[in-house]
Amino acid sequence: MIKNYIKIALRNLYRHKGFTFLNIIGLAIGMTAGFLVLLYVNFELSYDTMHSKSDSIYRVVADIDTPSEKIEAGMAAWPIGPNINKEFPEILNFTRVNTEDLTFVRDGKKFLEEDVIAVDSAFFEIFDFKFIKGNKKESLKAPNSLVISETIATKYFGTDNPIGQNIILENFDNPAIVTGVMEAIPENSQIQADILISMITYTAAPSERDEQWGNYGPSIYILTANGTNAKNLEAKFPDFLEKKTGDEMRESKMFVTLFLEPFEDVYLRSDRSGYVSGDMNNVYIFSIIGVFILLIASINFINLTTARSAERAKEVGIRKVVGAEKNQLAFQFIGESIIICLVAFVVAVGLTVLGLPYFNELAGKTVSSGVFSEPINILYLFIIAIIIGSIAGIYPATVLSSFKPVSVLKGSFSTGTKGVFLRKSLVVLQFTISISLIIGTIVIYNQMQFMRNQELGFNKEHILLLPTEAGSGQEALRSSIAKISSVKGTSLTSSVPGSGNPAAYSEIENKQGDLQVANLDLYFVNEDYIEQLGMTMAAGRAFSRDFPSDSSKAMIINEKAVSLLGYANAQDAIGADYQQWGSSGEIIGVVKDFNFRSLQEEISPITMRLDPTGTNIITVKIDGNNVSQTLASIEEVWQTMKPNDPFQYYFLDEVFNNQYEAEEQFGDLFLNFALLAILISCLGLLGLAAYSTMQRKREIGIRKIVGASVGSIINLLSKEFIKLVGIAFVISTPIAWILMHNWLEDFAYKINIEWWMFIVAGLGSIIIALITVSFQAMKAATSNPVESLKAE
Amino acid sequence: MINTLLSLNEATRTVNSGSNKVTLLNNINLDVKEGEFISLMGPSGSGKSTLLNCIGMLDSFTGGGYTFLGEPVHAMKDKNKSKLYKEYIGFVFQAYHLIDELNVYENIETPLLYKNVKSSERKAMVADMLDRFNIVGKKDLFPIQLSGGQQQLVGIARALIGKPKLILADEPTGNLNSKQSEEIMNLFSELNKEGVTIIQATHSESNASYGSRIINLLDGNIVSE
Repeated sequence: MIKNYIKIALRNLYRHKGFTFLNIIGLAIGMTAGFLVLLYVNFELSYDTMHSKSDSIYRVVADIDTPSEKIEAGMAAWPIGPNINKEFPEILNFTRVNTEDLTFVRDGKKFLEEDVIAVDSAFFEIFDFKFIKGNKKESLKAPNSLVISETIATKYFGTDNPIGQNIILENFDNPAIVTGVMEAIPENSQIQADILISMITYTAAPSERDEQWGNYGPSIYILTANGTNAKNLEAKFPDFLEKKTGDEMRESKMFVTLFLEPFEDVYLRSDRSGYVSGDMNNVYIFSIIGVFILLIASINFINLTTARSAERAKEVGIRKVVGAEKNQLAFQFIGESIIICLVAFVVAVGLTVLGLPYFNELAGKTVSSGVFSEPINILYLFIIAIIIGSIAGIYPATVLSSFKPVSVLKGSFSTGTKGVFLRKSLVVLQFTISISLIIGTIVIYNQMQFMRNQELGFNKEHILLLPTEAGSGQEALRSSIAKISSVKGTSLTSSVPGSGNPAAYSEIENKQGDLQVANLDLYFVNEDYIEQLGMTMAAGRAFSRDFPSDSSKAMIINEKAVSLLGYANAQDAIGADYQQWGSSGEIIGVVKDFNFRSLQEEISPITMRLDPTGTNIITVKIDGNNVSQTLASIEEVWQTMKPNDPFQYYFLDEVFNNQYEAEEQFGDLFLNFALLAILISCLGLLGLAAYSTMQRKREIGIRKIVGASVGSIINLLSKEFIKLVGIAFVISTPIAWILMHNWLEDFAYKINIEWWMFIVAGLGSIIIALITVSFQAMKAATSNPVESLKAE
Repeated sequence: MINTLLSLNEATRTVNSGSNKVTLLNNINLDVKEGEFISLMGPSGSGKSTLLNCIGMLDSFTGGGYTFLGEPVHAMKDKNKSKLYKEYIGFVFQAYHLIDELNVYENIETPLLYKNVKSSERKAMVADMLDRFNIVGKKDLFPIQLSGGQQQLVGIARALIGKPKLILADEPTGNLNSKQSEEIMNLFSELNKEGVTIIQATHSESNASYGSRIINLLDGNIVSE
């Protein structure tokens, strides 16, 4: 019996190659999209699940209440790690993780290594990162111990055994010793590094890090005993903090509350900063898009199958007459749709193999190294294919199997209006989804465009950034570079917009005359920085070499800081006293607000001071023409003056725009999925149009004979489909508006959703649909009517 | 003693066409004995096909009684009806109604599939049938590759394979030329001699003459016998 079904299914598919092709391609593309989404979602959900104890690991984070603000930090103060470990028996172990830059010196050459973290010795007891060589337990106990990845091992030692080898570190008294080699840390880990250095390297000497309860830097991870209730443990922290640092908190007016975040939730669910962070919303959004695309593809299938039901009606009648029962027929038709889905599944696996590298690139991560690397995913898709086949097959099967043999065998059978409404509704649903996705894409791209072109309050064009070490060598280098003719100016700074910056415990005189405590962003700059970045002063003056006291007693704040301190206007803040990180003096100027972080965030208060020891970036304003030549000249100067240091440079606009990498990837993915959705919808439309044209061949022939023009026939055939797309447009408009309005809420600086975005999406879809449909209509309208009538 | 195969008692079939009630069959009384070969005659629209369909349980009378092998069909559920006709009735159509996607062998085999006959048994039964109708050489051909007469042969073979007691044939030769018609009618006579009851609807006097009994219908009434 089943053999008979399969045989007839295959013969049917073969006989109607065109429809089969449309059906299978539509489904396969839908499944491919679904598969890629599945891989992406799986990957996002897999973050940090590779550790056997990850259920018992928590990240310790802090809320800090100051008189000015509440800071929700992803890190905690240095002493908290070792002290909570000592205090609470349920905390079995801890490790702090702090990013460091190390400069390796080999044969006199310097190599800047940026993927470095300092970690405490229990790192490998808490996490299961794979160790290849060395003693895992002991590897990070001694100062100057390094655990390096295989890549780094090969880079520095080639095929030699790296264990026990020395590496000279710039600015360190002793060379470091390689004590272990680990496998590269997997991409789905929130902790990323190529090199681990033992934390005791920094804390061995009487250490600031282990004493300063107000010094925030590292992420702190703890391993708790089995059965520890995190909430109960959290509840014990206030007493502990009071005991250890109560007086200090009252004095500084910075009150700390500690929380525990389950380790596996940090990547997707924590709003606090981290090394790598994802967004649960994106996971939801793409899951929904994946389901929608599968839905659109399934609708095609349902529509094409039911539209063609008249063709199968005779077979149904005959089978019933020779003894088939309804459920046997239904089973047959569901079986057929499963067969189609399985063929589509095979095609989809092939398409996924081809599309995966492209998708990885779009997603900005290796969501999967290969379709077959994890066979379980294939199994998932296989199950999905069968489910789609069954669900999409149920409706057509019910329709087909309920035909009455007497009526279908009489020969005058027509499907009439049955199912037409449903078919139309489903087309409307498909296009509602597609048009909504297109509107979404337009909004996202406009927002991206807006962020890139927004007036930022500073000028980011043609500014080159050279990381260097602060000090006298830096000044010599700067002045030599300044002499290059195509260099328009230079300055020194600790930070540039988009790159992150320190934040400092600050006390500044407010409107009431009190010293107000706040944790404020801080830039160390030199006298030329404000002018070079094209920032403007709102009141007072910029730093100047004419005022020698500026170098130690002057601070510039922005307008946001002015309002934080309660002053009505910028002028009133001039002359206010400040104390910050051991320096004191007064406010000499107020700089106009500039966006020093992503436009997703409001501008926050910032302070700037002169400090030649803190400025480790040379900024170089260059001529927009001949950039490469200017770069070459700068490198030449660099090579003469710092022959052992690697020449590294960045462009400020790129650094700033890098903040939007995640959003851009999101936008690109979204665009691609939207295109797929409209493509699949149009495939369905093409099939329906072809079918309806075929059905109306006779009508078209008669109309032509009585004098209808080609245009009027195209119009006749296209009208009803275009009407459906039009209805879909009307429905999708408010839906898309609500969704995108919501999405934009995440941005502090955002575009308005404009009417033209809807018009573009709507007109675009209608035009695409029109092209799809009229292609068929054209064929029918220009065919010879005698042919179609003779066939009757 | 010859058994009664089926009997109709005041059987009526009406349909609603718009607001009018149209009577297709009006108070039909008919007894059919096993082994009869009945020809239903009458002009188009007289109710021949409707009567055949109702007897074949593809359609239902809307009034009156219908007993088949002693069982009251008028009181049965669809499911039981289908069991009954699956077991005892074979159909032959004017337009042959073969499944285009199946070849000759598979078309003949189909009823057996729905009766859950074992594969080896099916093979033997289909082979017998092919043999008997001299179409062994055509078993792998598809309907479209056959002449009308050949297609009807396959249709009859399919109707017979379930070993029915009754064959209902609706204008079985309506699409055939005279030579093919003759062959088909000879085949029916032969089958009838072997004990199969046959009811055919036909326009043709000559076809009707093959039967043992002729019933004339007009506007849903039996006018003469």
